[in-house]
Amino acid sequence: MAIQINVPTVGESITEVTIASWLKKDGEVVVLDEVIAELESDKATFELTASAAGILKIKTPEGSTVPIGELLCEIEPSDSAAGKSDGNLKASPPDTPAETAKPTGGVKEMKVPAVGESITEVTISTWSKKDGDLVQLDEIIAEVESDKATFELPAEATGILRIVAGEGETLPIGGLICKIEIMSGGAPSSTLSSSTATIAAPSASGDGSYAAGHPSPAAAKILDEKGIATNQVKGTGVGGRITKEDAQKAQPSAPAKPAQKSAAAPVAPPGERNIRNEKMTSLRRTIAKRLVAVKNETAMLTTFNEVDMKPIMDMRSKYKEQFKEKYGVGLGFMSFFTKAVCAALQEFPAVNASVNGDEIIYHDYCDVSIAVSTPRGLVVPVIRNAESLTFDQIEAEVVRLATRGREGKLSIEEMTGGTFSITNGGVFGSMLSTPILNPPQSAILGMHNIVERPIARKGEVLVRPIMYLALSYDHRIVDGRESVSFLVRVKEMLEDPGRLILGI
Amino acid sequence: MQYNVIVIGSGPGGYVAAIRCAQLGFKTAIIEKYDTLGGTCLNVGCIPSKALLDSSEHFNNASLHFKEHGIDITAPKVNLKQMIKRKSEVVKSNVDGIAYLMKKNKIDVVTGVGSFVDKNTVKVTPSDGKETTLTAEKIIIATGSKPTPLPFAPFDKKRIISSTECLELKEVPRHLMVIGGGVIGMELGSVYSRLGSKVTVVEFLDSLIPTMDGTMGKELLKVMKKSGMEFYLGHKVTSVESKGKEVTVKAESKDGKTVELKGDYCLVSIGRRPYTDGLALEKIGIETAKGQIPVDENLKTNVDNIFAIGDVVRGAMLAHKAEEEGVFVAERLSGQKPHVNYLLIPGVVYTWPEVASVGYTEEQLKESGRAYKSGSFPYKALGRARASMDTDGLVKILADKQTDEILGVHIIGARAADMIAAGVTAMEFRASAEDVARMSHAHPTYMEAVKEACLAATANRPLHM
Repeated sequence: MAIQINVPTVGESITEVTIASWLKKDGEVVVLDEVIAELESDKATFELTASAAGILKIKTPEGSTVPIGELLCEIEPSDSAAGKSDGNLKASPPDTPAETAKPTGGVKEMKVPAVGESITEVTISTWSKKDGDLVQLDEIIAEVESDKATFELPAEATGILRIVAGEGETLPIGGLICKIEIMSGGAPSSTLSSSTATIAAPSASGDGSYAAGHPSPAAAKILDEKGIATNQVKGTGVGGRITKEDAQKAQPSAPAKPAQKSAAAPVAPPGERNIRNEKMTSLRRTIAKRLVAVKNETAMLTTFNEVDMKPIMDMRSKYKEQFKEKYGVGLGFMSFFTKAVCAALQEFPAVNASVNGDEIIYHDYCDVSIAVSTPRGLVVPVIRNAESLTFDQIEAEVVRLATRGREGKLSIEEMTGGTFSITNGGVFGSMLSTPILNPPQSAILGMHNIVERPIARKGEVLVRPIMYLALSYDHRIVDGRESVSFLVRVKEMLEDPGRLILGI
Repeated sequence: MQYNVIVIGSGPGGYVAAIRCAQLGFKTAIIEKYDTLGGTCLNVGCIPSKALLDSSEHFNNASLHFKEHGIDITAPKVNLKQMIKRKSEVVKSNVDGIAYLMKKNKIDVVTGVGSFVDKNTVKVTPSDGKETTLTAEKIIIATGSKPTPLPFAPFDKKRIISSTECLELKEVPRHLMVIGGGVIGMELGSVYSRLGSKVTVVEFLDSLIPTMDGTMGKELLKVMKKSGMEFYLGHKVTSVESKGKEVTVKAESKDGKTVELKGDYCLVSIGRRPYTDGLALEKIGIETAKGQIPVDENLKTNVDNIFAIGDVVRGAMLAHKAEEEGVFVAERLSGQKPHVNYLLIPGVVYTWPEVASVGYTEEQLKESGRAYKSGSFPYKALGRARASMDTDGLVKILADKQTDEILGVHIIGARAADMIAAGVTAMEFRASAEDVARMSHAHPTYMEAVKEACLAATANRPLHM
């Protein structure tokens, strides 16, 4: 029985749309959620996605203008076709994309779509892919937040991701989020094949047996450590049992699952008020709750300053070999920033404090949370007693925690209890941003990219490597003078590392 | 000295917990009251009893079976002194092995009785009196257990003995009376029975090894009776009196009939009880319940930083259970989330034939009302068993009636102790009887009996019966 796709409602005052282009041909096989056409209203352009898998039968040709509700096309569900093509996708070994994907030369610019009448800007919450990663069409690549809701951003093309707006950056509607250097073909990434596997797998592995979903001993341990319930994981073992590998690959917020559950929920077609009607995973709910709570329950403001990074960069190039030789770990920026931050925190205790109801909790130690981007999302492990660690100890700890973070091995204990956070959007190219507080902390320092900029010094124009710093703080307990002075102190100690030695 | 973790007791629970802690990066100390490490298991339990069981088994074979094998020798004699000496050497090499492992893992070994000063401090008092104090963030209590005496007949360690003394006898008993037909009683009873002692077992319940599947107990009774041991099941011991070189045991059956036994040694093996003497648990607010230290599902006591494992807490008193718990606590301390599946910890009796089982007993399934089917295969139909003349015993598989999932594996026969591992593996992966039946089992091996029993259980179609 053919599934009909009609023109959806796209905005209060919109009565008709034009079919700008069909992206698939009549008779072609389409998969669930695949973008099959581009529709244009007089407010915006948006994409039409397939609400089922099967063979496309176009009913209204390109260029036609059709009223809302009119039949656009039909999809003849062909389970064997879908199953087979999905099965093939799943069965094909995960070739490295470079072998089969070819760049077409085209670049897809992804801009912030209109997500609701009153929304004028959104913030990039997290990138779930890195700059340079191969992304697949419709793969979720980032999380974007407006002050009404958070939604996931799917890739609008298959290709190499080039991030333009970093995490924490706020963009206006129409702003450039990222670019995708389009590749044709390409083997599906494991995320995509696992999503198609979710659909096709029941036939592939035979009927789920009584032991379907039973984790092997190692799998049970791994899933428990990741905080994932076994019923959230599709077992690829015999009879649907969950193997160790299944557990290692399992991710808390499964991008594949929304694809399965929501019929046709294109992300933010411009003009529509409701972003999603789909149920959030509980992890997503928790994250959303916390982020909104922070914005609501704190008086969050951001103050900025800039740092001339040359002294540190000079010190690094001078000593980095020796440092590496002596301590076995590289001399990065984090040790300098952490030391400067800890010194400044001692002088401005409110910045190192947290609010608990009517009380302010002051800490005489600095447990510095460092934001680490991992393939699974953002994790924030804590460097304990950073104020007593030496440079090499800090660098070693950063490496250790980041590695554990990327391997998904961080425990809850390792990620709680920080007193101050440092986040670095600079690695993604962020010039300036307003980082969001990490509750219950009252401040977070945002590092950004280092750019050679012309500056004036003593009447002369110099070109120096400059990093903008952003300190978001909770104005309930940190007043303007303190936040600004704190940031100035950090800047001073970074621009003159001798101050760290002398404690001035 | 400050540590991350202190382990009190160096038996299989304690030393394994210490090694895992050290592997996970914790600075660890282990306290042991005796001069040698390894606890009951290595010193006066698992290892020495296996050594004597092997030695006595060899003697048994030499005396009774060599002729049939075509090996003509004059009747062998028991040199108990040498047997005990070899056992001591086996114990020593194992115990030295543990000491080496402690060194290799940089675990500090502190000898003496450990007792709590506060929840982070343990003072250790060795026999020469020079006290040391250790502090740690986390403490694991692994003080094990000791044999339970009969309330009216305490151990005199000469004639009324526990397993400990039974492993150090200076002569082969003329008549060894064993009170308690459980695992320990059966193992040690069979050692001396093979060496020529008359052995009489008095057991309160109506079957041997009562915690295991009933079929196992019945078969074991048959085999042990065949070997010459005598049994008084369903008898309650009313008195044990030792006078000079003779011990008199009086017992009463349920219907009032009394029996009086006279022998030169009486082994009391009615059970073991948790050992917490000298720990000063009251100093940290831990109260024992029936001698055990109460713990939650994470083996944590009521004191936040103190854990307890092994014989000193609830559960089967088995070395490998203690080891699993030792690893569990160590890994949990480091933030990992391992699990211990208590249902799948196998139980073993090292008589010959050995008895081993994992999962539910048939009695448990009947009581729970779960629909099951069963299949069994006797060793006497097994090619390998006929070749070695180990034809006593059988394999019994219990499976879910609907899904065929294996619910219990029970084996009595040669090599059962090693074979049961296959049962544990199958059950951890929730295999069905048919799954196992369809796996290739090398021929000729004892494991084929498991395959055949699975065929019998899954579809009543064994091939070799």
